[in-house]
Order: sequence, then structure tokens, then C-alpha cells
Amino acid sequence: MEHLSISDPPPQGTGGGGGAPPATLGRPPQQPQQLPAQMFTTAAQLLDLTDKKLMVALRDGRKLVGILRSWDQFANLVLQSTKERIFVPPGSGPNGRGLYADVDQGIFLVRGENVLLLGEIDLDKDDDAPPGYDLADIDLVQSLAKQKKGEDKLKEKSKVKKLSTLGFEGENLGEVLL
Amino acid sequence: MSFFGFDSTLHNPAAAGFSQAHNPFAGLSNRDDDADALEFEDTYDGLGDQLDETDDAFNDDTFGDTVGPVSSRAPVGKDFDFFGQTANVANAIEEEHVRFHRQQPVAKVVQSVQQQVPQASTSATAYKFAPQPSSYKPARTGYEKYSQEPVAELQVDAALWGVAPKKQPAPAPVAAVSPAPAQTATPPATSTPGPTGRKMLSLEEVEAQMRAQSKKPVALSPAPQPQVQQQIQHDHGYQYSQPTQPQVPAPVDHIQHKEQSFHPGHGHPVTILQRPQSKHTPPAQPLVQPTAHQRQPPQPPPPQQQHQLHQLHQQSHQIQHIQQPQQIQQKPANVQILQNPNRLSGDVANLGLHAHPTPPIPANYPTHPVHQQQNSFSRQQILMAHPSQLAQLSEEEKMAYMDQEAKRAKRNHKIFLMSRDNGIMTPQDKNFVTRIQLQQLVSATGNPNEHGTDESLAEDFYYQVHNQIQGGGRQHPSQPLNNFAQTYLYQTGSRQGGPRRHNRGPENHMQRMEQQVQRAVEAAKNKPKNKQLVIEGSLGKISFSNAKTPKPLLNIKRNDSSNEPHRPSSSHKQPQHGTDKRSELRTIESIYTTLMKMEDHDRIMPPPPASDADAEAIQRFVAWSNDAQALNAQLWKALRIHDHSSAQIHPFIALLSYRKGKKAMPRIFRHTTQEQRTTILTLIVVNLDSLDVVRNAQVTTGDIQLNAAMRENVELFSVAVMSTLFNFLNELGLDLVAGVLGLVCTRNVGVIAKSKIGVSMLTMILSRAEIIKHGGGGSEHDWRAWDATYGQFFDLIEPSLPHIFPGTVNSGEDVYVWQLLAAIGIGASPDQQQRLVLAVKDRVMDTVALSKTLPQDLASQRLQNVNLFMRSIGLDVELLQ
Amino acid sequence: MLFFSFFKTLIDHEVTVELKNDIQIRGVLKSVDQYLNIKLENISVVEEIKYPHMSAVKNVFIRGSVVRYVHLPASAVDIPLLEDATRREAANQAGKAK
Repeated sequence: MEHLSISDPPPQGTGGGGGAPPATLGRPPQQPQQLPAQMFTTAAQLLDLTDKKLMVALRDGRKLVGILRSWDQFANLVLQSTKERIFVPPGSGPNGRGLYADVDQGIFLVRGENVLLLGEIDLDKDDDAPPGYDLADIDLVQSLAKQKKGEDKLKEKSKVKKLSTLGFEGENLGEVLL
Repeated sequence: MSFFGFDSTLHNPAAAGFSQAHNPFAGLSNRDDDADALEFEDTYDGLGDQLDETDDAFNDDTFGDTVGPVSSRAPVGKDFDFFGQTANVANAIEEEHVRFHRQQPVAKVVQSVQQQVPQASTSATAYKFAPQPSSYKPARTGYEKYSQEPVAELQVDAALWGVAPKKQPAPAPVAAVSPAPAQTATPPATSTPGPTGRKMLSLEEVEAQMRAQSKKPVALSPAPQPQVQQQIQHDHGYQYSQPTQPQVPAPVDHIQHKEQSFHPGHGHPVTILQRPQSKHTPPAQPLVQPTAHQRQPPQPPPPQQQHQLHQLHQQSHQIQHIQQPQQIQQKPANVQILQNPNRLSGDVANLGLHAHPTPPIPANYPTHPVHQQQNSFSRQQILMAHPSQLAQLSEEEKMAYMDQEAKRAKRNHKIFLMSRDNGIMTPQDKNFVTRIQLQQLVSATGNPNEHGTDESLAEDFYYQVHNQIQGGGRQHPSQPLNNFAQTYLYQTGSRQGGPRRHNRGPENHMQRMEQQVQRAVEAAKNKPKNKQLVIEGSLGKISFSNAKTPKPLLNIKRNDSSNEPHRPSSSHKQPQHGTDKRSELRTIESIYTTLMKMEDHDRIMPPPPASDADAEAIQRFVAWSNDAQALNAQLWKALRIHDHSSAQIHPFIALLSYRKGKKAMPRIFRHTTQEQRTTILTLIVVNLDSLDVVRNAQVTTGDIQLNAAMRENVELFSVAVMSTLFNFLNELGLDLVAGVLGLVCTRNVGVIAKSKIGVSMLTMILSRAEIIKHGGGGSEHDWRAWDATYGQFFDLIEPSLPHIFPGTVNSGEDVYVWQLLAAIGIGASPDQQQRLVLAVKDRVMDTVALSKTLPQDLASQRLQNVNLFMRSIGLDVELLQ
Repeated sequence: MLFFSFFKTLIDHEVTVELKNDIQIRGVLKSVDQYLNIKLENISVVEEIKYPHMSAVKNVFIRGSVVRYVHLPASAVDIPLLEDATRREAANQAGKAK
């Protein structure tokens, strides 16, 4: 189980028949092509990501970087050594480039429904600044991000307002999903 | 009982968490606490008492002379060949292990590892286990070992604290490269020599250290202390890479054992440590799938699996210890570095390359299983670690190399830092969640592993049938589910096996038609030729010098029918025949529903009763047949064949104007009777000129092509309907074929002949008759009827012949027309042949002329097409050149 | 379970997943579960500059509830079969509703 990877080849013959002895006589032969059922579970998907450094994007737009230590079938997550990474998109920074900063946050338990996506981080690229972005002072980034968020909120609000007059109900009313 | 007489009952379970790396095979050496173990006294034969041990008479022989002068004394040397000896029995040991685990799926409780004796003794015990059958204890909780941890290892842990990361011991003199058992087995003495004699820290002290360290920036750690690790690491790597090397004194299990004694105090290397072992398992042995462990096999699995289960068990057991709080905090960092073999040369790069010669690491050296994937560049490109190699590199390469090494070191350090708390989620936890989910899946969809059951089919139909179509299914043609694969593979005609070969269907059907025509032509050629038909009278006088021949002298009168204005092909959106589109689509859906019911019904067909006596079987079969008939009636009703309302278009023909209506044809034919099929064929032929693919797909002589939608429509009709009819028509007798041709004559032959589908249909009918003739079938009466019908048909089609070619001569899409002409030509009388030639000679000449301007292969292909027709009337294009 | 069943056949095909926040991620589909959570490997992000947090990410697990579209390779879809699977699903649902 520890080494069960979704990229592992499916078991031969007894498609997920477990450790049962190959006494398939009397049963219809299994489909060799059929992938084992347990491959198609949340557990199998998260298995490979366990104890790895991940980027977790939350529904409220926050980005957490931490080590996935535990999870369950709802994709509730436990993250260790978590850092929140705050980005300020290009344009608002001093030299026109984007800025980012990390804030240490420790251990996180994330409720699965708030997760947008989990990304496994390539440890070799981990320390490189994202293209077009520079590491900056946390206070600066935080204040800029706050400002940006306020602007976005206003923009979104007016957009939603306009859309609702046209009869549109946004998929993510009021939420900034980035 | 214990080997060294220590009291093993002093073991304190409460302290178990201190050492999760206790020896997993220690149980092997302590089998004697098994109920059925042999007592020494019971079996001792007293031979030892007869030994003469009084004066050590042969000690010199045995151990060498130790009392003589130093110069004459032979050096003890380091060339022990323990391993070589052991290797001789390695297989036996392996076997015993397997046997042991089979007999005893539960990792045996370790009780007698001595408290005072350091690791050396535990490692030594690995040799000493005696395979003895033990009682079978299938019930286990997975926590047995947890409560019975060997106390001895506590002390080893304590020793390791002596090199707690914070302290950074000075680079130590490294143990000699020959890892004699004694050396490797006492790691605290050799591998952690830094500030030796370090006192054992209290828990508080250790925690304080850990806290202090955790505040330091991450990057600080790879400083000098890894050097020690490298060497250790190196030694280990060496052992793994050359397991047969004589000095390495142990079979796998011993290595594993030793390894654990090397860095007790943290659990996760276990995962690595299992890897090398797999290298030693016999190559023929099947790879045990990890998935097997998820399902808790109800019966004892095969030995190998059992073996792995056992390991898994141990591993998880050890991981559990990590969860003990103090354990987490006290893990000595430099020991853990050992699990990252790759960092070796990276650290060397950091520390100055030539400090330690580092032989290349074998490429298959196991990395940390959890983290080995989390990097972007492969290890292969970095495995150039020997300094002598480095010296030969250019500056630039050296820089690149160093750069890479630094990168690798950095990554490995990250992995190391991350891996401290690996395994907090145990395999059991993961299993647990997986099982919950599988349970959910089962309740939602039926057992996903039981393919082909009705329940799983209902919920997972697409995946299961798709899988079979993609190749899995056809290995077991007897399987019931295969019906489905066949339905979608062959019945729709769009896929002839293999994944998605769209074009195979039509090609296949067209090819077969062409072959049929060709066969008919060949057959006709063997008949005595009509002498009257010579070149001179027909084609001979035509001047070949000019490709654009003048108008033919003969004025061919035309039927009214062929004067019908060509429909502009762009107006493809035809009104839906005045009937309700919605109800038509509904009808098609009901057809499909019925078809699926019939296909399901076919799957449960009971075997035909073996004898008349088996009343029950007969009854079952009769009941099944009744159901089948009812379904057939339902289908027939849904097809609305006899539903001729006042509507302009017959409802069944209207259904064929929809894509899914066309696609249903092959499946309909599969579930209808011969009579019903004949009715359908007749109906289609009778309505041939009102089919949308005929009416709305009239060829034009210009370059105007049919629009894409109609072309697709035509192709689909050809694939789905025509091939079905073709197969069916080829089973019909001459009377029916003549009847069908007669029906054609009642329709607007001009319109029919100006569509690809119409031409194909005519070719099909005519060539079928020729094949029957060739095969000697058909009564004389039938043939007379046929000849009459044929004559009538020829008269009808003759005026249209010059206008049935699609596009200009350049477009080269007229193969199917030449096929029709060939099919007409074979059965034609000499007079008719002459008329045929006159009707199409322009096209013949144009094509011949054009072929001279074309590349050879293209030209010959065009000429071949024409020749198909020419040969049918006893001519050849070569006569024209 | 039609969609679950369907996505299972796309394993190892390259797909593009578009999320409700407009980010488009292209990668090889490695797994899907009953919630239609999706695991992609070797990903690339369309308009990467807009999503700096994805720059060091190579594999992703995407929560099914935030997916807007999945762009599929047409060649990997068996349309007649899918049509029948849909019919069966519809019949099942109708049967369950009764």
C-alpha cells in the first residue's frame, strides 16, 4: 500500500482480486485491461502526494505551500510547515514586476470543500521566483495585496451587479477565485 | 530462554516508542519462546561433553599462532570470507524466511534481545535463527509489536543522540572500506565517532535542542556533518550495489537487519530498506501488487505476498512509533541523511570535491520512495561522481556539473528535512480510507471488480464495454459481456477492431463491392467475346491528338427525368418532410431502447435444451423465445415499416435521414428475421429516390462539391446502411435481386444514378446478379425475368449515363461510377454495350488524356478505374493509347 | 456514474481542465474518482504568467467541484457507445425514480 502508485501497472489477471489465490476457475476470466477499482478513488490520488511538498490553492484565493501529512476520503488535508504565499500581480509593484512574499503559518487542517487544487511542487524549481515575480518585503506585499483585493472586490461586485440585471447568476458570486 | 542468558522479561513496553527501528527479524532468533520450540536440553545429544577442551591443543591451528614473535606472526588480515560461506546457503535462508512468514504471518514478538548487549548481538542473531515450525496465528491487530518493543535498542538510540544534528561533530576518520561484520554491526562505535562518549541527554535537553534547531534557517544544516554521513552512505551503497562482494558478509536479511541497527531511532528508512531486498528475490517471482494489501485477503496469500505483508506490517508498526511525540522530536538528523543516497556526491561538491573519493553510485540505488519522484531531472545525468572523471572535464562542463550537484544536494536536503515526519499517515490509515471509498463505490455501482454483472454494467457500462472494445474483451470470446463489444465493434460497422479506425468500415465495404465487380468482370472476360464489338466501330475513329475532343456526332436524346434541374447542393437543410421531427427522434430512441433490451435479452439466452426430456430447460427456452419474439414485435412496430401514412415520405425512410437512424441499421438487421430484412431492403429500394442522401446529394458536372454535412451523411449512410444491405443482398437469390431491380425501374432512375448512394445500390444489385450467373445460380425462368428487367433498366439509365460522373474529370472521384458502368457492361448485350460506349466515351477519352499529364502512379490508377469498365465490355484502355 | 465511467476511459490521455476561476491546466489524466476529482501529471498552465503559484507545480489534484470544462481528445471518445451508455443511464435514472 505504501508504494501503491496510480502509475503502477494494474495487477495481472485478478483485477484487484486482492491477495486471493489465483483460483479463478469457475469465475469468468477477468479483463486484463480493466484497471483496478481502487485506482479510481480519492485515496489513490492523494496517496502519491502524501509526505510531499504541495501548493494548495483555496477557494478564497489563498495559496498555501506545505507538506501533506494526512488526508481522508473527503480530501480534508493536514499540512505541515505551511507557508502562505501572497502574490501581487505585475503592475502594482515598484518596477512593474509582480511581487510575492511568504508568511509562516505552521500546521494547517484544510477542509476539503475549500480546496481548489493541490499541486505537487517540483523541488528543483521550488526556490526560483515565478517568472515575472520578485520576492519582496512581507509588509509591502501584504499591503499591496490588500489594496488589490479591495479593488478586485469592487470590480467583481459591479460586474456581478451588472450581470444579475441581465439575469446571470455567477458561478462564484462574490468569491474571488484565483 | 535467551541466547546470552539475559532476562528478557525486563522489557518495558511503555518505552517502546524510543526505537522504531528495532530488528524486524529479531523474532527469528527468538523462536524458542514458541510453545512448540525445542528445548535445548531435550535435544542435546551430549556430543559436546566428549570434546577435549583441556589444553587448547589446536588453538594455533584454528586461530593462528599468537604467541610467537611479532615478525613471524601471520597478519590476521581482513579477507574473511563470511559472506562467501553464507552465500552458499543464502537460498536456503531465503527459503526459510519465506516459510517462516507463511507459517507465521504475524511478526513475531521480540522479547529476548538483550538489554546490555549492543546492536552487534542483534545483528548477529540474524544468522542464528533456526527455522522451526511455529503455531499458526492468523489473527492480528497490527499492533503486536508496538507493545513489546525490544528494550535493547533504547540504548542504541541513546548513542545516536550523541551525534544530534545541532552538535555537528568534526569530520571523523572514516571506517575502513571493508565492512567486516563486526564493524558494520556496531555503528555507534565506528560511524559516529565525533564527540564520543557523549553523555546521554535528558528528554528536556533534547527537546530544547530540537527547538533551537528548528528556529534556524533550513539551509544551514548541510555543513560538515554530512561528511560523516557520506562515508557511511557510501559504504552502504557499496554493499547494495555489490551484494555478492565477498566482504559484505550477509544475505539480504542480514543487510537489512544491520541497516536498521545502523540508524535506529527513526522509522522511515524501512521503506528504503525493503527495496534492496527485492533485488535479491528470485527474478522469476511475480511482482506482488501493492493493491493486494488493501483488500485483506481472506485466505493466506501465496508465500511471497505473505512475506511482503509481513514487511508491510513491520514497517507500519515502526512508523507508528514515530507518532510518539518525543520520538518526533528526537530524531537525529544526520542519521536520516542516510536515506538520501543521492545527496552523496552533491555534498562532495559542496565540500570540496577531492576530499573524499566517491565511487559512482549504482544507478539503481534506491532513493527514498516517497520523494524520489519529486524532482525534475533524472538521476542518470548526474551519476558521474568520480573525481578522476571530473578532472577530464572542461571548465564549462565542470561548472555545469558542480551546478547540478549543488542543485541535487539542495533538493536532497529539502527531502531530508521533509522526510523527518514521513509516515505520520500510516499504510493502515491509507488502507482504511481506500476501503471506505471502495465500499462507497460498491454500494453505488456494485462490485467494481465483478465485471460483466448486470449491476456493474448498469453503472459502469461505458468503461467496461470501452475496455473490451479496446482489446481486453476479445481474449475471451465466450464471455457474455462480449456481446456488447461485438455490438459496438462490428454492428455499427464504423470500427473494425482496434481503436477508432473510422475509415475501415466504408473502405471495407467499398473494397468488397469493387472486388465483386472485378470478379464479375473477370468472369465475363472469360466468356467468348462478341466479335462485332471492335474498336473501329466505336472508339477507333476518335482522334487522340486532342484531349478536348469535339462534340460527339451522335445526339443522344434525353429523358425528361434527367432534365430535372440539379439541386444546388448548398441547400442541404431540407425541411423535415412535413412530419414532426420530435416524434421521429422519439421513435428512433424507442428503437434503440428496444434494441438494447434485445441485446440484453440475448445475453441471458439459456442453452438450448440438450434433450427432449429436460422439460424445465425446454420451458426456459420457450419462455426466452417468447420474450425474444415480443421484443422483436416491439422493434418492428417501432420501425413503422407498415405505417404508411399520407405523409410524403415513408416514416421509416424519414428515420433514415437522421444520423442515429442510419446508425441503428446494422443492429436492426441483427435482430430481425430474414423476412423482415427483405421487407426493409424492399422499402429502401422503393424509396431510393426519396432518401435524403440520394435526393439531396445529386452530382454536378462542375467543380461544386457537396457540402461537408451532406458528405458526412453520405459516408455514414454508406457505412451504416449500405454495407448492411450489401451483406444482406449477397445472400439473396436471383428472383429477389431481379425483383429489387424491377422496383428500381419504377422509380426515377435518373435521380438515383446521379447520387453516389444510388449508384452504389445499382452496382450492388447488378454485380450480385452477375455473381449469381457466374456461380451458375438461378433458374432459366429467373434469368428470363432478369434479362427483361435489365433491358428495361438499361433503357432507363442510358440517357443519364453521361451525367452521372461527379465533378470534372480532374476531380478523380468517379471510381464508383466506373464500377457501375462495369457492372452494367458485363450484363449488356452487344447492342447495349455499343450504346454504353457511346454514352461515356467522352469521359473515357478525357480520362485517358488526363492520365498522360499525371504522375505515373496517379495516372495508372485513373486508367485502372476506366479499365474496369473497358474490360467489362471486352476492351482495354491500352487500345486507346 | 456515467461521467465517472466515461472519464475512466480517458486515463493516460492528455486533457485540458478549465476551472471555474478560468485557469486552464493541460496534463495527462492519471486518475479520476467518484467525485470527479481529477489528477493530472506533467501539467502546463495556459497563460502561466497569470498564475504564478503554479510555476513550480508539476502534478495536480483538482477538486471535481471546481471544474468547469474538461477538453477531451475527440479520438478517445467512442460516440456510439457513449450514446448507448447515456441511454442506459437515462433508463436507470428513470427506473430509480419510480
